[in-house]
Amino acid sequence: MAHAGTLEIKNLNKQYTVKGEPLPVLENISLSIKPGEFVSIVGSSGCGKSTLLRLVIGLEQEYQGEILLDGKRIVGTSLDRGIVFQEHRLFPWLTVEQNVGVGLLNADLSPAQKKKTVDEHIALVGLKGFETAYPYQLSGGMSQRVAIARALVNRPEVLLLDEPFGALDALTRSHLQQELQRIWEAEGITAILVTHDVEEAVYLGDRVVVMQPRPGRIKRIVDVPLPRSRDRGSYAFSQIKDDVLSEFSDTPHSDVKLVTPQESLGANWQFAW
Amino acid sequence: MSTATISLPAVPEPATSSTPAVHRNWRLPWRQLGRLLLALPVPLAILAFWQAAAVYEWVPAQILPSPSAVAATFVDLLRSGELQSNLLISFWRVLWGFLAGAGAGLLLGVGMGLSPLVKDYLYPSFKTFAQVPALGWLPLLMMLVGIDEALKIVLIAKASLVPVTLNTYKGLQGVPTRYIEVAKVYGFSRWQLLRKVVLPAAFPPIWNGVRYGLTHAWLALVAVELLASSEGLGFLIVYGRQLYQLDVVLAAVVVVGAVGLLLDLALAQVEKYLLRWRRDAF
Repeated sequence: MAHAGTLEIKNLNKQYTVKGEPLPVLENISLSIKPGEFVSIVGSSGCGKSTLLRLVIGLEQEYQGEILLDGKRIVGTSLDRGIVFQEHRLFPWLTVEQNVGVGLLNADLSPAQKKKTVDEHIALVGLKGFETAYPYQLSGGMSQRVAIARALVNRPEVLLLDEPFGALDALTRSHLQQELQRIWEAEGITAILVTHDVEEAVYLGDRVVVMQPRPGRIKRIVDVPLPRSRDRGSYAFSQIKDDVLSEFSDTPHSDVKLVTPQESLGANWQFAW
Repeated sequence: MSTATISLPAVPEPATSSTPAVHRNWRLPWRQLGRLLLALPVPLAILAFWQAAAVYEWVPAQILPSPSAVAATFVDLLRSGELQSNLLISFWRVLWGFLAGAGAGLLLGVGMGLSPLVKDYLYPSFKTFAQVPALGWLPLLMMLVGIDEALKIVLIAKASLVPVTLNTYKGLQGVPTRYIEVAKVYGFSRWQLLRKVVLPAAFPPIWNGVRYGLTHAWLALVAVELLASSEGLGFLIVYGRQLYQLDVVLAAVVVVGAVGLLLDLALAQVEKYLLRWRRDAF
């Protein structure tokens, strides 16, 4: 089993320069993630949640503050950190097993060990029998499973997920959420999921980090002290979900009034289109 | 953040026990056969019209010989071996010219595609050079290298150099950032990035350039042989015209077209094999 990493983000600031003006994207982010913890980050588009993930994976380098994995400052990308992007980003010219093997290209293993590890991870994501299929022969959900296998094949300490199910249909999405939970439990690694789907965040996360935009800040961190597997229909689940959702509405809950529709000419007409 | 999104098909997850459709092109190729048959009506109609024109003498036979006369001439040319020897000469010229041009084009395209510095140095000059058609260089080249084989090879090379260079350069430029990021995440070295990601991703446009290059090489060959040659298919066309034997001209024209088509089809077959990971467009 992989060693689970401790991720520490301290006073992280990040800005882009747009037309000569500094544009802050992330402001004063501090977050400490325990080994084996599953943290969900939710926020509306443009709140910098994806940028945060790109900083942690090492695809973006310039920032102020500190990002530490097991106490060591993150420099560039590393096989210690795996990522699943929103689009599966499989190489279309490689088969499923070759795509998963991409993760092991620079791993210190013999070819036989690599083959074994690849096979294990294809089995882990439930794609046994599809080893020699090309990406164009796979559905969106299957492609994303391959991407998860590729991200895990190095046994990273941290798995980063950047809206991994955002482009999938609702049925496939909820199925893959269950699968992801199973895989995360099986691998016992630290996971960070960025999403704009509050239900997904609550279903999967030990904690839900709510971010707010312009510049991206942490608004609140909500604990999800529910046992797994969670029941999306349960009262406790809905309460936490509503709690997180309430962070996104500008007006406080108590002020909300039902709006009575105004009676006007034609309001009761049924239109047949 | 990269905004490239791929629309994923909303296919429900199939049971994992079902076998993958890896070999789905194994069925009898009826559909392909049908498509091949569809290519026939147009040439057949032209042939019928041509035959009618000859039979009813809409055009004098000296100017437009009948298809049967052309076919007879074709057989004669084959029997005497004239066609084969001229075809062979043309073929070798194209081969050498194309290899030289495509080779140089690949180098130039890869150089410009991978290094912005090389691109800044060479691209404007290259574009200017490319604007002048092969025949525009002919007078100058005749003075420089004479009218022998070298002239033909240089012109054919130039004709194939341009499309190969441009498509290689554009292909390398167009490699999606999202793939390069994946390579970075898995710690690919520069060489691994080039070999495992950039070249496969850029291969379809590069191969397109190679196909264009070969077509252009063939066109340039006929043009240069028309103007300055004493052998080859182009020469056969000039020779037939000079002797007022339009059946020879037409036979040579048909051969030129057919060989050009076959060359492109051969490259298309290679492409089909090399790009078997790609979904058929239709």
